[in-house]
Amino acid sequence: MKFKDYYETFGLPRTASQDEIKRAYRKLARKYHPDVSKDPNAESRFKELGEAYAVLKDPEKRAAYDQVGSQWKSGQDFQPPPGWDAEFGHSGRGTDAGEDLDQSDFFEALFGRQARETRQSNEHARGEDQHAKVMIDLIDAYRGAQRGISLRTPMRDAQGHVVMRERRLDVSIPKGIRAGQHLRLAGQGQPGYGKGLAGDLFLEIGFNPHPQFRVDGRDVFLDLPLAPWEAALGCSIPVPTPEGTLQLTIPAGSAAGRQLRMKGKGIPGDPSGDLYALLRIVLPPAGSENEKAAYRAMAKAFDFNARPFMRGDPP
Amino acid sequence: MSNASPQPVRGAIVEEELQLTLVELCQACHVSEQHVITWVIEGALEVVGDVPQDWRFTGPSLRRAKLALWLTRDLEINPPGVALALDLLDDIAALQARLQRFAAS
Repeated sequence: MKFKDYYETFGLPRTASQDEIKRAYRKLARKYHPDVSKDPNAESRFKELGEAYAVLKDPEKRAAYDQVGSQWKSGQDFQPPPGWDAEFGHSGRGTDAGEDLDQSDFFEALFGRQARETRQSNEHARGEDQHAKVMIDLIDAYRGAQRGISLRTPMRDAQGHVVMRERRLDVSIPKGIRAGQHLRLAGQGQPGYGKGLAGDLFLEIGFNPHPQFRVDGRDVFLDLPLAPWEAALGCSIPVPTPEGTLQLTIPAGSAAGRQLRMKGKGIPGDPSGDLYALLRIVLPPAGSENEKAAYRAMAKAFDFNARPFMRGDPP
Repeated sequence: MSNASPQPVRGAIVEEELQLTLVELCQACHVSEQHVITWVIEGALEVVGDVPQDWRFTGPSLRRAKLALWLTRDLEINPPGVALALDLLDDIAALQARLQRFAAS
């Protein structure tokens, strides 16, 4: 396991005050919150920030972290020093309820056990609900799919100690699901304490970006480039859809920017979404002499002013 | 240790198939009932039902409650501010969705 420099996460020196840490966290958290940020790495960056803040905002955890931290550099191989558990963790203050359980191995090694032992004080409590995010492909929303996910869950070993274990779960992704929606898997969260029931697992669904299709709710969009003559004269062309190729009729006189709707070809549901082809017109380059001649012939054949609304005369 | 089950686990789509009770929403978001009640009163969360015991949370409530918790706990925004921020974020998300209909990013 690698040592994590939580100060580096915030770009602060070890001497930073609690106020400086709070300010740095808030500034970066606003920037990287997945619901706010467009940064492709927002999700993982935000998770790192949350973990670093959970340690540094708490003076007791910070002191403990500083004690080990002074001997390591970021990225170095790390093992908690012997006797770590005995030295630290008897104050009964774990991570706040509501903090994500999906912390790094490093955090887990330093603070995980302490956090869980606090939670166990209530003898027969229901296990906590757990959250995870699963990325699927657009086609999975069209057809439904099965996804294997792995979760880190505390379990009891033969000696009755709680240890973090990777748990694999095969999840059925229902047809028609949309990005941003959540699946609730009853009883798949944290195990209960004593005779308490297990919590639930909430899976947030995200779509992997697709090079061709864009999604808004149940509607799907694609750019459809056309040659000028295809748009002007109309044509029937094969168009890719998430479910396979469809023959689409382009009406004569189609302008760039026009959207052709393929009803019900979006993400299935009640009602199903639509698939929109957004027409773009691509100008063929006039490279060869033949091609130039064709453009000249067009210019001659048309009585066409591309700028009827612009007057050439200066005002 | 692996305990992958042979049958894939099926879940329910929260936004479409479920109506969460106050207790369920609180458990799901690891948040106190008092927080959720305040957010409902301030209009940050919409609810069906008259009294908290009968409340049912539908649609985007889970996502909004998770976000409300973050705004409250980490940014120390007060409940009216949370309601405003959530509405603005929804507006921005809707505008961005409209924008990307027309242009590949």
